[in-house]
Formats: sequence, C-alpha cells, structure tokens
Amino acid sequence: MASASQASLLLQKQLKDLCKNPVDGFSAGLLDESNLFEWSVTIIGPPDTLYEGGFFNAIMSFPQNYPNSPPTVRFTSEIWHPNVYSDGKVCISILHPPGDDPNGYELASERWSPVHTVESIVLSIISMLSSPNDESPANVEAAKEWRERRDDFKKKVSRCVRRSQEMM
Amino acid sequence: MDSEEEDFYYSSGDGEAEESAEGGGDELESDSATISHHRKNYTILKEEDIRKLHDGDISTVANVLSVSRGVACFLLCKNNWSLSTVYNEWFADDEKPLETVAKRKSGNQVCKICYESVVVENMLSVACGHLFCSDCWKTYISTSITKDGVGCLTLRCPEPSCKAPAGLDMAELLATADEKEKLNKYLIRSYIEGNRKRKWCPAPGCEFSVQFNSDGCDSYDVVCDCDYKFCWKCMEESHRPIDCETVEKWVKKSSCDGESATWILAYTKPCPKCHKSIEKNQGCNHMTCRCRHQFCWTCLASWNKHNQCNQYSVGKDVIEKRENAKLGLQRYAHYYDRWVSNDKSMKLALIDLSRARAEHVGLLVRVHGESEGQVKFVTEAWEQIVECRRVLKWTYAYGYYMDTDTTNSAKVSLFGYLQGQAESALERLHHSAEKEMEKFLKAECASKDFSDFRSKLAMLTGVTGNYFENLVSALENNLSEVQSSSDKSQTAKQEAHRNEEALI
Repeated sequence: MASASQASLLLQKQLKDLCKNPVDGFSAGLLDESNLFEWSVTIIGPPDTLYEGGFFNAIMSFPQNYPNSPPTVRFTSEIWHPNVYSDGKVCISILHPPGDDPNGYELASERWSPVHTVESIVLSIISMLSSPNDESPANVEAAKEWRERRDDFKKKVSRCVRRSQEMM
Repeated sequence: MDSEEEDFYYSSGDGEAEESAEGGGDELESDSATISHHRKNYTILKEEDIRKLHDGDISTVANVLSVSRGVACFLLCKNNWSLSTVYNEWFADDEKPLETVAKRKSGNQVCKICYESVVVENMLSVACGHLFCSDCWKTYISTSITKDGVGCLTLRCPEPSCKAPAGLDMAELLATADEKEKLNKYLIRSYIEGNRKRKWCPAPGCEFSVQFNSDGCDSYDVVCDCDYKFCWKCMEESHRPIDCETVEKWVKKSSCDGESATWILAYTKPCPKCHKSIEKNQGCNHMTCRCRHQFCWTCLASWNKHNQCNQYSVGKDVIEKRENAKLGLQRYAHYYDRWVSNDKSMKLALIDLSRARAEHVGLLVRVHGESEGQVKFVTEAWEQIVECRRVLKWTYAYGYYMDTDTTNSAKVSLFGYLQGQAESALERLHHSAEKEMEKFLKAECASKDFSDFRSKLAMLTGVTGNYFENLVSALENNLSEVQSSSDKSQTAKQEAHRNEEALI
C-alpha cells in the first residue's frame, strides 16, 4: 500500500466518522478542505479542571507516512500548561516515536502506535489538561508554578480560559 | 614486577608461542604481543565474533525460557545482555509479556491500523494474538527499523496497551534484506554498548570492540587489533606510568579552559568595583575602568582616596598569587611543550611503524636477501619507539604534577635523572631507526654493514627498553626508593650507568 494514499484514506475515513458520530469534549475538521493532512481541532476545557469553560484551538499536522509516524499538535490559542511549549506545541509521550525516549519503552501504552487516531490523540490531550505531568515539562516555568505556586498558576490559566472565550 | 616489566617491553619467544597457540596468531597479533603481556584480560571482538556471541546468547535464553528468538532478544536488550538478570527478572515477574490476550477468530476482521477488512489468514500477530494485516505489520516494522535506532529491538505489538515484544520475530519474517542488515547492526551496537564489560575501541575509524574479562586485575591496558593502545578504565590512550586521575586532570588542563584562567589571573586584574578583568596596556597606574571607576593599578585602591602605595601592607598576598600564577604558566608551558612534541613524535612513529611493516620489511628482504625473521628488528625498533614516546609523553604530565611539592628534591632529581637518561636513549634509537636506516633501503651494500646496523639497532632497542622500564617502575612506585634509602637511588643510577656502558 503506497503510504501517502494509505494516510489520506485513513484520514478521510476518520473525518467521515467524526462528522457522523461526534465525540464529547472536542470538535475536529480540516483546516483547509483540500488538505487532509492539516486538521483544526477545538478542545473544550474538561469540566472540574482549571481549564473548564475554555475553548482551545489547535492544529494537528499529519506526516505523509501516518499512521506509522505521529502527527504534531500545536495550540493556536494561548494556553498555560506544563506540557505545552511556549509556541503551543504539545509534548505528550504518545506523540513521540518510540525511539525518541532513551529511557523509554517502560510503559508500552505511552508510546506512539499506528493504532492511534485523531480521536485517541485528542482524548490524550484532554487527559493531559486534567492531569499535567510535571516530571518532564515542556514549559519549565509553568511546571514550577504548578508545583510551587498553584495560585499564580490558576490565575494564568483562568486568564487563558477567559481569552479563549472572547475569541470565540 | 621486574619480570613482568620485561615482558612488557621485550618480545619474548614464549609469549609469542602462546599467542599463536591462542588462535588467530597472524602477523599483527604476534607483533602486538611484543608490547603487551596482558593478553588474557580481554578479547578483541570483530563483527563476526559479535554476531556469533549475541546469536549464542539469544539462542540460550530462547531455549531456557522456551520463548521465541525475538522475545529472547527483547529480554536481553532490556537487561543489558546479562543472562542472569534476564532469568531473575523472568522468574520474579508474574506479568509475562507473552500471554495470549486476544482470541483468534475465523473469517474477516478489521485491521485496527488501516481499517481494511482482511481475511484472518492474511493477518499476523505476535504471542499476544493482536491481529493486524501483514501490510501494516510490514510498514510498522520497517518504520521502526529506520526511525527508532536501537529501539527497534525492543519494539512491541502496535496495540497501545500491549506489552508483547514484536521486533526481531516480525523483522525476520517481514523485513527486507537491507532492513535486516540494519537490524543486525543495531543488535551489534546493543550487544556492545548495553553491557559494561564491552566497549568499542576508541580509536577513530576502528570497528573492533573489546570484551574485558576479569574485574579487579592490575592492568587496564588494552591493545586493540588496530594497534591502538588504550586504558580500559578511562578510555584515554594508554598512560603508564601515571594514573587515570592525573591523566584526566592533565587533559582537562590542556583543553585550554584552565589555562586561559591562569592567564587571566597572571596578566589581568579585576576592576575593584565591577570585577571585570582588565589587562593593562599603558604605563600609568591611574586606571579608569569602563564602569568609570578610577583606581590604582598597583594597590587597587580607589583613585580619589589614593595617595601612595609603596609601603608594605596586607594586600601583598594578592600580588604574590599573581606572580605565582605567572611562574606557574611558564612551568606548565615547559611540560606541555614536551608533552605535545612527544605526542607528535609518537604519531609520526606510528606511521613509520606501519610503513616498516608494509614496505620496509619486504624491501630489506629483497635488497639484502635476508629472511623475514632477520629483518624483524626494524619493526621491533619502531614498536619500541612508539611505546617509549607514549610513556615519555606521560612522564611530562607526571613531572608537572610532581614538581609542585618541592620539599622532596631528592625525588625530583631522581625523576629528572631517569627521565633524562631514558629520553636521550630514545633519541638515539629514534635517530638510528629513522636516519641510518635510509641507506639500507636504497641499495645493496656490504652485508657486514647491514649486520652491524642490525646489531646496533637491536641493541639500542633493548637498551632504550631498559631505561624506560626503570623509569616506569620507579614512577609507578612513586619514586619510593628515595624515601627508603638514598642508596637505592644510587643503585638505580649505577644500573643506568651500566646500560650506558653497554651502549659504547
């Protein structure tokens, strides 16, 4: 199977599925109707978390050899979180090819696998929002604040939530 | 100790016989036996040896645990290729990565990667039973081999929560020849780099590796089959007679950082206000820093309070420190220059040695009608030169660190004496092997001349070896002869004199 066409077929199929059966917590579609490899996703801040009530936009870019390599996900909305780089790029283990992590492979469920879909990736990001991993932070400042000065952290997050509502 | 030393420098007939008895006793190996007697502490591994060894380990584990070779390989990679750890982990851990969790159905099934409906017969799984179509497996394996590096050996089933190893078994089934070759390279890497007892030879471009067999032995010197000689412990070039710590200190120091610091200390002063270093390049002592602070260069006091600073006061130690630093720098330069020049000589001698092996031996055999055994003295001389240059080089690092304690002047002078003797013997040998050799390479000459030259060079090789042997054993004993009685150092000197007489 030529990999680029396999990738577009798979993405096409997922797009159709998600339109037919939307999943709670996020909405997804193409950024530009003619390009299956760039998705625009809106994640609703999960209830009972600091991010509740926010609408966070992100762009998901798939490589030509998807599903053998993971996509990258970048928030376009401002977001303050230990596992999101300052340019918005999301850093979670399932988006890393297994070779990336030198100590890795400890938790098989945490690495990239071709079984992952837009849905399973976004669900992982939602779970990242409710439970940040401050052990290998992408945003060191945010991680430090989350650990040591939770009030300041909360304040910054609620500002992001407010802004995301204004942008809608 | 002495006899050991002798083995170290001389080609002893016995040693070589042992060498060839060990197998693989080709030209190169018996040559390196001249330089090292610690052959048995380690084994040099070539690619095919490594393949055989890791293959053996994989088969053993697969047999003992009754698992596939892929699972055995996975377990070994995870446990640093230590069989005992693999077994311990295996029997301690209840959660085997092998349990079949998915039942095999018949008919069609949707492949969870490509979402195609595929006949189950065309789908594959590893021990866990999670089925994916063979096309998807193929790309999965191939992506991992090209992208995950050594990680492809510990690849698991694509099912996110599944722990079943998938790497080697699936690769053997589905990978292309190129990919299999790549995988084999990673296996070799994992086998060498995963285990503390194995290391790559650090020489640039060398592809051999070394397995060090006995812990706690006295010598860490390893001679690779590429002729590079290194210390197993610190992976620096061999550095007898000085220890790894001194080498590290020396290497760090010569890598300039430390030295520029000494320079800054010696030739600059910090502005007393902003503490930036200032180099004085004009005569007057009234300094104005960029931060606009004005002060006296000599005593560093603020200029507007400054009157005179010619009288002695407490600040003197600062100046003294600076003077010391200046002297220290000169001293360092002395030792460093000599270290560098011996290092260069050694590298050139290595080139000469390989040329002697490749060309000169054959040439001499042709020109003078001698047997190869009879012209061996040439390569032996060069081997001796290389070895001695290396030792000599490190004795300069030794000298640099020893001198600081000037209370022990007897040691200093004994060291200087032994080093000086050794060095001039080496210069004679090096000169003879390099310059006097030339005419015998060019044309035929009286066979008497050639045999005279042979005995001269062989003798110089032996004598130089002797001098260096004395030097090394003295330094390795930290020149303790001086402490026990000064007579002994006399003995050392007398012995050295005897050597000298032998030369004449």
